Amino acid sequence: MKTYLGEFEELVLLTIASLGEEAYGVSIQQDIETRCKRSISIGALHATIARLEEKGFLKSWLGGATQERGGRSKRFYEITPSGKKAVSESKSLRDELWNLSKIKLSAAK
Amino acid sequence: MKQSQPPKLARALFEWYCGHAKVEDLVGDLDEKYYLYLESNSPFRAKLKYCRDVVSLLFSYAIRKRKREASTGSYSTSNFSLDMLQNYIKVAVRNLYQHKYFSTLNVFGLAVGMSVSLLLISMVSYIKTYDNFHVNRDNIYTIVTTRHEGIEESEYASAPIVLADKLKDYPEIKEVVRIQSGFNEEIKMQLGDIPLRGYYVEPNFFSVFTYNILRGDGGNALTKPNSVIITESAALKIFNSTDVVGKTLELKQGGLLEISALMKDHPINSHLKFEVLVSYSTLPAIQKSTNDQWTKYRNQYLYTLLVDGAKPSKLNDYLTNVSNLQYAQSAIKVDFATEHIDGITMGPDYNNAIGPKWDMLGVIVFGIVAALILLPACFNYTNLSIARALKRSKEIGLRKTMGGVKNQIFFQFITETVVITLIALAGAVLIFFIIRKEFQTMMVASSSLDLSLTPFTLLLFFAFAVGTGLVAGVFPALYFARLNPIQALKTKISGKGSAGMRIRKGLTVFQFALSFCFILSLVVFSRQYKYSLNFDFGFAKQNMVDLQLQGVKSELVKAEFANLSTVQTVSMSSSLLGLNYSETWIKNNEKDSTEVAQVFVDTQYIPNFGLQFLAGKNFPEEAWRHERFIIVNEEFLKAYKINSPAEAIGRTYNVEGKDLEIIGVLKNFHFATLRLPIGKFFFRMDPAQFAYANLKVSSKDAYTMFSQFEQTWKSVSPLRLEAQFFEEELNEGYKMYQVLLKMVGFLGLLAITISLLGMLGMVVYTSEGKIKEVSIRKVMGASTSSITYLLSKDYFKLMLWAIVLSIPLTVVFFDKFLTQLQYYSVQLTVWDVLLSSTFLLALGIATIASQTVKTANANPAETLKME
Repeated sequence: MKTYLGEFEELVLLTIASLGEEAYGVSIQQDIETRCKRSISIGALHATIARLEEKGFLKSWLGGATQERGGRSKRFYEITPSGKKAVSESKSLRDELWNLSKIKLSAAK
Repeated sequence: MKQSQPPKLARALFEWYCGHAKVEDLVGDLDEKYYLYLESNSPFRAKLKYCRDVVSLLFSYAIRKRKREASTGSYSTSNFSLDMLQNYIKVAVRNLYQHKYFSTLNVFGLAVGMSVSLLLISMVSYIKTYDNFHVNRDNIYTIVTTRHEGIEESEYASAPIVLADKLKDYPEIKEVVRIQSGFNEEIKMQLGDIPLRGYYVEPNFFSVFTYNILRGDGGNALTKPNSVIITESAALKIFNSTDVVGKTLELKQGGLLEISALMKDHPINSHLKFEVLVSYSTLPAIQKSTNDQWTKYRNQYLYTLLVDGAKPSKLNDYLTNVSNLQYAQSAIKVDFATEHIDGITMGPDYNNAIGPKWDMLGVIVFGIVAALILLPACFNYTNLSIARALKRSKEIGLRKTMGGVKNQIFFQFITETVVITLIALAGAVLIFFIIRKEFQTMMVASSSLDLSLTPFTLLLFFAFAVGTGLVAGVFPALYFARLNPIQALKTKISGKGSAGMRIRKGLTVFQFALSFCFILSLVVFSRQYKYSLNFDFGFAKQNMVDLQLQGVKSELVKAEFANLSTVQTVSMSSSLLGLNYSETWIKNNEKDSTEVAQVFVDTQYIPNFGLQFLAGKNFPEEAWRHERFIIVNEEFLKAYKINSPAEAIGRTYNVEGKDLEIIGVLKNFHFATLRLPIGKFFFRMDPAQFAYANLKVSSKDAYTMFSQFEQTWKSVSPLRLEAQFFEEELNEGYKMYQVLLKMVGFLGLLAITISLLGMLGMVVYTSEGKIKEVSIRKVMGASTSSITYLLSKDYFKLMLWAIVLSIPLTVVFFDKFLTQLQYYSVQLTVWDVLLSSTFLLALGIATIASQTVKTANANPAETLKME
C-alpha cells in the first residue's frame, strides 16, 4: 500500500461516500456518531478532513447560502478517484486477510 | 420567546483567531450543531457545548492549515524569496557605502563590542570540548564528596579510595579506577635531575579512559609494581628518543621504575594531565589502604564506568546509603555523589580538583562583563539608525506603497543589520587575535586553554554575529516597519515619541555611567596598588635578602654568610614576615584553647628587622637548648586583656604542652599580608623550624653580590641557591593588582570607546540636521562660541547625569569591595571621583567639540546657498 490510511480516516472517507451529495461537516459527524456510537470532536473531524484533502482523497466546494445556519454556506465533500482507490485497496487487503484467517472469524458474531 | 443565540464571545474569539482564513463553513457548522443540540438540551448546556467545539477547532489541524493557506494567497505577506534577500543585501551594501562615516562608526563600535564576547565564546566552546575524546565518555562518572564538620561544609573533587571496594559491589558499575595524583618526582640523569609528574593509576585505567598507546601493551603495562607508562614528550625530554620501552627511570628519592609502555601525549583538553602513569601497586602499602582513609582523602580520585543505560541517580542513592552506614559513628559526616565527566572542568567549584577548573561563577561574571561591553555597542547602532530614519523614509514609503508589508520591511532592516554585524565580525576577530595572548596570560591554567580558531568556533562566531545583528536591529526594524507610508513619503516623521527619546537618553546615561565606573576603578586600583607597595609594614623591608635554607643547617649558613663583606647581619626565621606564618594553639584550660599566629626566629631577627619593643627584651642567647620564651605583639595583650605591656612580662602560656613565658612585647606590625587584619601573634625560638636566612646587605651592586652568594652557597649545599630581595618578594603578593589594572584598563578602554563613538554619531547627526538653524543664527549675529555651546549642551548634560547617578553606586561598591579585597586599603576619596569625572568630561567634550565647532564655524553663505 502506498499511502497509509488510518482507521478514522477510512471511516470518514466511507461515510462521505455513503452520504453522497449531502456530505458536509455536521452531517458527517452525526452519521459517524450514530453509526459507530462514539462521540467525536468537531476539531478532530475537520483535522482529519484537512489531512485527507492534502493527500488528495477528498475534494470540496462551498455550497450556496442556507437558511438554518445564519445564511452561512456549507462546505461539501466528495471522494476523489484516488480516494476511492485508497479505500478499495484497504478493503481488498482486509478481504485477503479474512480469507486467509485460520480461525473462523464469522463465528465471532 | 426569543430564541437562544450561540455565545458571542466564543464566536468572536474563533473569528479573531482565524483572521483572514476562510472559515465560513466551519462557523456555519458550529451554529447548526448548536441549534440541533438546543432541541434536546438546555440553552446553558448548548452554549457550553458550543464553547467546547470552538476550543476543539482552535487546536485542530484544520484551522492551522486554512490559516497557512490564507497567508500564502496572491497577496502573500510572509513568503520568503531568495531574490528579495539578494536585493536587501544589495540595498544594504549601497547604503553602507553611501554613508561611509556612519558605517565606519557603526562597524568599528560593533567590532569593539563583540571582541570580548568572542573571547568568551572561544573559551567556553573550548572548555566544552574537554574530555570529548573518551570513547566511554557518556558513562564515565567521578565521585565527589561533601564533608560536613560541625557547621563547616566543604566540597572535594576527591574521594576516599576505600570507597572503591564498596563501588565494586554495585551491579551497574563496569569498572572502578583509582587514581592518586601525588607522583611528583625527579629523575636522576647524568646532566642533572629532570622533574616528572603524573598519577598512580590502576591497571584498568585504559578500559575507562581513551588514550593512545604507541608501544607496549597498555592493558598489562600497569599490573606489576614499579612499572610506568611514559608519554611521548616526557620520553623525549628524558631520553631524547621514543624507543624507551624496557628502560628504567631512577628516582632521586630512591627506587627504580621500569617503562612498560609509551603513549601519545594526552590532548590539551584532557582534564587528567600527566607525563607518566605509574602502576598503583607501586604505592607503599600505607598509602594504599588504611582505616582512617574514610576521613582522609586528599589527592585520591575515583572514576567509575557505568554500564550502558545505568542511572547515576540510583548510584547516588547507593552512595548515600554507604556514607550513612560508614559515618554513623563519626563526628565528621561525608556525602558522596556522582559527577559526570562533562561537568568536571566547568561546574561547581570543588576543592582539590585533579585538573584545571573553571568555576561556573567566574564564567558567568565574565559573561556579564562581555554583555556590558556588547550591549552598549548594539544600542549605539539602534540609536543611530532610528535617529537617521529620515534618510530612509522615502525608500520605506515607496516600498510600502508598492505593496511591501510590515514583515518585509522588518526583514529588510534585520538583513541590513546582520550585514553590518558580519562586517564588524571581521574587525572583532582581528581584535580577538590581538588580545587573545594577553588574555591567556591573565587566566589561571592558561596552558589548558587552546583559543585558536577552529571551523566550529568560526561557526559559533558567525552565529553570534547574526544574533548580535538581531539584537541590535530589532528596534530599528520594528520602527521602520511601523512607519506610515504617507508620512514617510512626505518626509514628516512623527512618532518620535518622547518615550523613545527618554529611553535613548537613559541608555546614553547608562553607557557613560559604565565608562565612569571603569575610569574610577582604574584610578582607585592604581592608588591601591601604590599604597600596598609603599605600605609601612612596621618592619624594615629594604636591603634584605631571603635565602632558602633547603635543609642546610642554619648554623652553617650563618657562619658562612656572616663573613661576607656585603652582609651586615644574618638572622633566621621559619617564614617570611608579611607573607606567611604558621598557627598554633594556646591551651587556656582543659577545654578551651586560642589560635595564635607564630613565627620561629633567632636572637638576631628582631633587631635585624627593626621591630620595636614596648616592654621586655629579646630572646637571651642561652635559651637555645630548651624553648622557654615567647615575644608577643599588642594584639596578643588585647586578646588576653592585659592592660599594659609591662604587666605581660613573666606570664606563662601553655603551647603544645610547653609552658612558655612572655619575655618581650613588640609594637604591632603586619606579619600577615595586608589582606588580613593584624591578629594575635608571637615569636618563638626553635632552630629546628628555621627555613630562611635573612641577610641584611649593604651592597649596591646586586649582581656581584648574588654571584658571591652563589659561590658561598656552593660550599654548603649541592642544590641551587634560592635567594631573593625581600622587598621584591613582598611586592609580588600584590601583583594581582597589576593584572586587575590591565583588565579594568582594557575593558574601560573598550567601554569608553564605544560610548564616545555612540555620542560622536549622535553629535554628527544632529549637527548636520541643524546646519541651517546654525547659519541663520550666525547671520542674525550669534557668536561661534554661543553656537558651539548650544549644540553641545544636551550631551554635556547627559554626561553630568551619568556621573551624578553612578557616584552613589560606586561609593557603595568600593566601600564593600576594597576592604574585602584587602583589609588595609585605600578609601574612595572625593579626589578620585573628581579626577575620573574630569577625565571623562574632557574626553566627552573633546568628542563633542570636534563636531560642533566645525558646524559652528561653517560659513553661513555656503550652507544657506545649498537649498
